[in-house]
Amino acid sequence: MAHPYQCIQVCKPDPQNQEKWMILGACGPNVVSCISNGITAIWPMQNDRFKEDDPKEPPGKKLKLANPTEERPNVSQMLVSSDSQYLVTVTAEDKCVHVFHITADGHLQELTQRSMPKRPCAITLTADNSTILCADKFGDVYALPLLPSPEEAEVLPKPATEAAEATPQKTFIPAATPLTVHSGRNRKALEAQLKQATQQMKTKEPLKFKHELLLGHVSMLTDIAYATVDPQEAGRQPRNYILTADRDEHIRISRGAPQSHIIEGFCQGHQEFVSKLCLIKPGLLVSGGGDSHLFVWDWLNCQLLKRIDVKNRVLDFFKDHPQYIATLEGQEEINIAISGLWAIPGGESKESVLVACEGVPALFHFMITIGQADPDVCHVLPLVGNPLDFAMLDLALDGIIAVVSVDNVHEPGSTSSRRQGDRPSRLQLFKINSSERWESYSGMTETLQWFSCEAPGGRAAGGEATAPGQVTVEDMSAGAGEKVMRDLLYGVENLRKRAGADE
Amino acid sequence: MAGEANKKQKREEYRKSLSKEQQKLALPKKKFYRQRAHANPFSDHSLTYPASPASMDWASYYPAFVAKNEESEYVATQPREDTLAVRKLSKAVEIADIGCGFGGLLFALAPRLPETLLVGMEIRTSVTEFVQEKIRAMRSQNVSRGEYQNVACLRANTMKFLPNFFTKSQLSKIFLCFPDPHFKTRKHKARIVSTTLNSEYAYVLKPGGIVYTITDVEDLHNWMVEHFVAHPSFERVGEEEQEKDVCVQVMRTETEEGKKVERNGGHKFVACFRRLEDPTWP
Repeated sequence: MAHPYQCIQVCKPDPQNQEKWMILGACGPNVVSCISNGITAIWPMQNDRFKEDDPKEPPGKKLKLANPTEERPNVSQMLVSSDSQYLVTVTAEDKCVHVFHITADGHLQELTQRSMPKRPCAITLTADNSTILCADKFGDVYALPLLPSPEEAEVLPKPATEAAEATPQKTFIPAATPLTVHSGRNRKALEAQLKQATQQMKTKEPLKFKHELLLGHVSMLTDIAYATVDPQEAGRQPRNYILTADRDEHIRISRGAPQSHIIEGFCQGHQEFVSKLCLIKPGLLVSGGGDSHLFVWDWLNCQLLKRIDVKNRVLDFFKDHPQYIATLEGQEEINIAISGLWAIPGGESKESVLVACEGVPALFHFMITIGQADPDVCHVLPLVGNPLDFAMLDLALDGIIAVVSVDNVHEPGSTSSRRQGDRPSRLQLFKINSSERWESYSGMTETLQWFSCEAPGGRAAGGEATAPGQVTVEDMSAGAGEKVMRDLLYGVENLRKRAGADE
Repeated sequence: MAGEANKKQKREEYRKSLSKEQQKLALPKKKFYRQRAHANPFSDHSLTYPASPASMDWASYYPAFVAKNEESEYVATQPREDTLAVRKLSKAVEIADIGCGFGGLLFALAPRLPETLLVGMEIRTSVTEFVQEKIRAMRSQNVSRGEYQNVACLRANTMKFLPNFFTKSQLSKIFLCFPDPHFKTRKHKARIVSTTLNSEYAYVLKPGGIVYTITDVEDLHNWMVEHFVAHPSFERVGEEEQEKDVCVQVMRTETEEGKKVERNGGHKFVACFRRLEDPTWP
């Protein structure tokens, strides 16, 4: 059984040939790729330990690997640079940022691995693709050069303050004198410090690569965006901004480096966590999270332009598709958690955004009108499974193709119950027709057959790209594996604060 | 635990008695409000805070400063139910005492700056209640002179929610008095002063505004100086100017912790930092 693709990216790897496309999918710990000429590959190229699976085997009875390989970390983020030259991925458990070069013939060469101090929650690249901005669980945003310079390995320039924090002091100075006013706890901490001083001073190992702390929230970051705004007066430099969203309802607008310490403002109005930011055009930001609405912002002025009801569209969808109702029963209050926002290129006057909600087997396409009373049009695009990620490919012949990764493991409409019966393909493709509606697209199905149906994934699953038909197995029936997968695919609703939190 | 329940009961009874009319002038007793001196700034707590400064109901905290041209006469006792239409104040809050504790600094500063609105922000519930009760009592005791109308206290986690209360450049002074030192290196991100958090203090402070810090922990003092000096939006205020500032004198002598340190014969380390103008865009 194949692991679904938790992330999907597309690119045009060959600058000389715009017809050549490449789809990259993160499948558990693996990165799987497929090029328009049908060539496929898997990273990491593993030992060829794989087993044959009998496709007719009943789902409940799966082979257990005799020697489960050590658990490899799952890929949690994936991003292709705007020039299609580099792929950046994040692996969750080891907090590692990987950079790959995408060759013109569509191969991945891993260039660097950098392990961050805290788990990265979102990454983006600066407009010139030179710097990775990495937002982490502890609220900090670090800038890492996409490609470390060769000399960097030896010398590590560090900001003064950080160096001071990291360098172990040779002589131990207690943090306070006996004259200090203490609470009992502080006194204990101090005693512990004194005790520790007699032993060895334990300090965290400083990061061995160039990194710069740009800004920080005291909250888990959920998304980050980088925006470049053209100057209003001639002869001025364009202005760069960093937009960060956190679990405590904030959207912060900061200047780009080297002035990232300056906060320009906050877009305030969310009542629940913010999980996604989407710049649908330079001055227009759409944000979503645990609220029932999307928020549309003139973010340069921190002004809310409008709120768009998503929850009622979701409820309408469930009314129209009663087969999913069962999954809603027993829930006192139905909450939606927005797990994906993607800008869809539209006409001049129309802005549009595609919305995914966690555990809702559909995409919602909103046409946004600004400054008019017209209601926002919403087209619903039902899917065969819950959407996990989305990417867009612009083909000369067929126009815009939507590549949607769907959950083939869980029941549509549920984030926990296992699918019964046949598993669908892990990809669904759509194109925009002449009346601006999405319709199913089959132009790439054959090329993507292996990628969408057969490519192996999951922990302890290696594979050889050159062995089509050989499907590896994994032991997903184990409770721990199931939980890991659920956390990987459905982490958004978990951001909601629970009632009765500690005092 | 029996002891716990007893304590809780005593506190409840005490609080009930405070709400009676004859108790209006009585100052609250600290012993009923003590709470352990640490709170985890990263945890969710069950806090109430406005979604944005515009939706903050300051009027119920400063009833004497409600803007006169508002449609309704203000009702002194009852805060209005509908928080959607927030009554406006005639002036904005300008001084924030972050981690105000039992409010010593607030009560000392309020009569000295009668036309400036001060707010104390404290993460511990009972301590906040104490200060609120004391403000109520001090206002009642000084009705004729109208004192202490310019001071208020609210429960907040400022490390997370400072920009929910204050707009950009709203404040002229921020006090950080005897903050939790968080000795363990692992806990340094929980310190009230850090490179990243200083950006938020810079955001709510107007250029020229001052951050006042005082601590009896030299290590923490050095940490605060190091991090504010390293932040491009701040410069340290010179010693001469610092010593002339009446707020510095008050901070040294009137804060509860300041008095405690005095009694212990400990050291007090003061440092002030001025908010600089933002540089032009590159």
